[in-house]
Amino acid sequence: MLVDESVDAHVLVIGSGGAGVRAAIEASRYGGVVLVSKTIAGKGGCTTMAEGGFNAVLREADSIDVHHEDTLKGGAYLNDPALVDALVHEAPERMNDLVRWGAVFDVTEDRQVAQRPFGGQRFPRTCYAGDRTGHELIMTLLDRLDATDAQLYQEVSVVDLVPDENGAIAGAIALDRDGSPVLFSADATVLATGGGTQVYDISTNSAAGTGDGFAMGYRAGAELIDMEMVQFHPTGAVYPYDARGRLVTEAVRGEGGILLNARRERFMEHYDPARMELSTRDVVARAIATEVLEGRGTNRGGVYLDVTHLPAETIETRLPVMLEQFLAFGVDIRREPMEVAPTAHHIMGGLRITPECRTTLSGLFACGEVSGGVHGANRLGGNALAETQVFGKRAGESAGKAPARGGRVDQTRVDGVLRMLDGFFEGAASPAAVRKDLKLTMWNQAGIFRTAPDLRTALGHIRRLADQRLCAASTANLLECCTVRNMCTTASLIVRCALLRPENRGAHVRRDATVITEPAMSPFCHTYVSLAREGIERREVAG
Amino acid sequence: MKTITLAVSRFDPAVDAEPHLEEYTVRVNEGARVLHALHAIRDEHDPTLTYRYCCGSGQCGSCAVRVDGTPALACMAEARDGMTVEPLDLPVVKDLTVDMEPVIAKIARICPSPDAGLPAKEEIAAIKPLRDCIECLSCVSACPALQVTDFAGPTVLRQEMRLALDPRDSGDRITDAIAKGLFYCTTCKRCTEVCPKEIDIPGKAIEKLREVANRRGLTLPRHREVAQLVRETGRSVERTQPTFLEQVPEVIEPDGPVRGEVGFFVGCMFNGRVPQTALDAMEVMKRNGIRVLVPHDQVCCGSPLIRTGQTTDVEDLKRKNIEAFARRGITTVMTICAGCGATLKNDYETPFTIKDVTEVLTEYGIEPPAKLDVRATYHDPCHLLRGQGIRDQPRALLCNAVREFVEMPSQCCGAGGGVRSGIPEEAKALGAKRDEAVKATGADVVVTVCPFCEFHIADCTDVPVKNLVTVLLEGYRKKDAKTGE
Repeated sequence: MLVDESVDAHVLVIGSGGAGVRAAIEASRYGGVVLVSKTIAGKGGCTTMAEGGFNAVLREADSIDVHHEDTLKGGAYLNDPALVDALVHEAPERMNDLVRWGAVFDVTEDRQVAQRPFGGQRFPRTCYAGDRTGHELIMTLLDRLDATDAQLYQEVSVVDLVPDENGAIAGAIALDRDGSPVLFSADATVLATGGGTQVYDISTNSAAGTGDGFAMGYRAGAELIDMEMVQFHPTGAVYPYDARGRLVTEAVRGEGGILLNARRERFMEHYDPARMELSTRDVVARAIATEVLEGRGTNRGGVYLDVTHLPAETIETRLPVMLEQFLAFGVDIRREPMEVAPTAHHIMGGLRITPECRTTLSGLFACGEVSGGVHGANRLGGNALAETQVFGKRAGESAGKAPARGGRVDQTRVDGVLRMLDGFFEGAASPAAVRKDLKLTMWNQAGIFRTAPDLRTALGHIRRLADQRLCAASTANLLECCTVRNMCTTASLIVRCALLRPENRGAHVRRDATVITEPAMSPFCHTYVSLAREGIERREVAG
Repeated sequence: MKTITLAVSRFDPAVDAEPHLEEYTVRVNEGARVLHALHAIRDEHDPTLTYRYCCGSGQCGSCAVRVDGTPALACMAEARDGMTVEPLDLPVVKDLTVDMEPVIAKIARICPSPDAGLPAKEEIAAIKPLRDCIECLSCVSACPALQVTDFAGPTVLRQEMRLALDPRDSGDRITDAIAKGLFYCTTCKRCTEVCPKEIDIPGKAIEKLREVANRRGLTLPRHREVAQLVRETGRSVERTQPTFLEQVPEVIEPDGPVRGEVGFFVGCMFNGRVPQTALDAMEVMKRNGIRVLVPHDQVCCGSPLIRTGQTTDVEDLKRKNIEAFARRGITTVMTICAGCGATLKNDYETPFTIKDVTEVLTEYGIEPPAKLDVRATYHDPCHLLRGQGIRDQPRALLCNAVREFVEMPSQCCGAGGGVRSGIPEEAKALGAKRDEAVKATGADVVVTVCPFCEFHIADCTDVPVKNLVTVLLEGYRKKDAKTGE
């Protein structure tokens, strides 16, 4: 197999979600930007699907410091404080960018961006466009991108990063729709590939959420942190079977929705009586999982999420997507409760970055869900969209300012990727079968409640799956093989880090935890994993 | 789990001259969507099956396909045994994937002026219904105007209106909209019917853009002539013979006992151009014991003005019409023109109920006519099928009045939305497609319930076109002739 096409850029942005497009917009101020999108831009990734909102301090009565504290507390104090600083200070200005560029957010009577309450926050600071906030955001960003001279490659999927002779990241190899390789070389590369909870059987992520960026970054030698921190969103649909895991936005609870078990008890009283349904996602997800495990769930293995006490008009105007989706499956949420259960939603961990979005690899920047550290051990609803904009801009700026690279693309590494691709024509294992097996393994053995023996079993199984030689039925199927390979890698990173952290922290619960402390007093900081090393950082705890 | 069989369109440009259907039998879960059936084919039968999908929850617009001919999101439409899955009616890349990018590229981008602030709450509220579009291109696939013109497509015009409503935008959206085919839309609402977000593009975008165009003096000259006529005569159609209203009293008593009573809104076409059909309708009402009240001070419903964006005088027409019927204490107003009916139902707020003649006849029940010895097909008027949601009643009435009824695929004839007068070549081309469809049925007669459709299709085919009430009356006459023997 040979490279069909070569594209040279100053900045290569990989990923067309909120972070990638924002990065490309910012980088375009410095010229020579190429944005590579696995899907038709605007249709891929999870930004488009984000429903509830964007956290930004916009009111006098709110404060940046409170947003900062809420984020740290919600993140079980595992967040990188410098990243949180950037997030909370710059989210308002990034929100203003969107409004200036034409975003249609809901507004109040006195012409301010409207805000709703979200879990774990002491002020209603979640800005929204009904329950299609992410869609609004991405459409606005694409309008803005169109006004720049960034070049867009759509339905071209990056399969590996490639270094130059000095080891700095110098670009990437991608496959176009037909499976023909394209080589992108660049002075700076921004990884904005989003998350990867598609490695779980039940997930809210789009089909694109396969963890490609974690895997490519890892293979290229970058260090990742806190990969065990997987957010299980409390409320995913449970029916029909094939749509299970589909996100039921936190805005449902933000607007007043209540959770009831099969006995119609408002069970959050027993888990977080102060915050009830608007507790943080880790707490609510575990509460629901516990109700179901202890036999108080519905026949389909969920609990009820009820908004029937709200005026129909509130549901129609504030939650139109929810109303429409449930109606399509025969449930009128104005009259009957939804059935929900936790679903794998967001990976808090990712490539280790500085506030300037530099990874541990020269020439490689990362932003959005593929990066780690902003959300710590649990992400607050509404902080992800804010993160895409704050760090998308930062990554774009850093990459734009990057100097021209000295070395040339390392041809031996390019050849290695091409050989790997050729190998898929001789493989025997069905990517579909491996994918299915992997997803079940992760759900059953590396899900909400974890133990070391389960995690070790999972890791062994994932390694066996990763060793299988995947088979591409045609050149157009090469991408599927690469994707399944990435899923195996991402899954193994999650499990390895889960084994490294012996405590309960935020979204990570070890039934066999050996260290029991309040999060703020934990002696541990980030887990880390790279080709070179793995471990868990310890920190000094006062008192 | 259940087993279903489906036919899927396959096409590989490298080896196939044209697409062909391939049949697959797969096991899927209860409640599975079309997308899951496609996954099952890919994972268990043929990994090379190509189709787009991403969010799996109706939010990204990647996966629209035609299911049994009608566009739908594969991730939301339920998989059915025996279904056929084909790509949208756009250039096919491979199997079910079509080339979406050229159409998406036509969707305008906002040009924000540098100093614009946040829009007001009402402005946001006006924009939001037009902002739900996920660019799945179902509407572009289904729009009849696109088959015969270079109309840019419903969602492209939707976006022009979304931008025209935004105080931050600095673009000239009306000029753009006209260049993209603003006057090509027949307002048939097929786009709304297939839209997964049910966006009323004709009502909320096209007609509104035409209104703005009107304020800027950009209405088509032929449409302006119609508005002038309405201003001068209260009617949108020039009289060519004694009008219906001139020929009938204000109260038409039935032949036998009175079973019911309706007001009758005649409409301009039936009043001035084809009054005989309206007179036929009166005969059918008399025969079935329904008293008809005909206020002579009724005027044009305003439909030709609303559809073409000339709304200045519409409020005056509405007031006159509502007064004409309300003053006489009429509680049910019957229309036999689909356009008038849809307008009275959707654009008016009336103190009385509006019913199409087929609804009235179905509710009261009619004396069965003798069956005419013909094979008949039925053309769905857009303003009846989608404008009023009436599909079954005319079919049931027709089935009882002819020897044989044969279905014809529903599609706009091209007469609506001011297209027949404004863009006659488009109307003619769409009419020619109706002629092909009529011929394919082998019918002796085309029956419909809209004077605009009737008039236009008659111009485009040599098969006779008749209003349903005329067919019913002919059935009664045949019956009477037999009895007379």
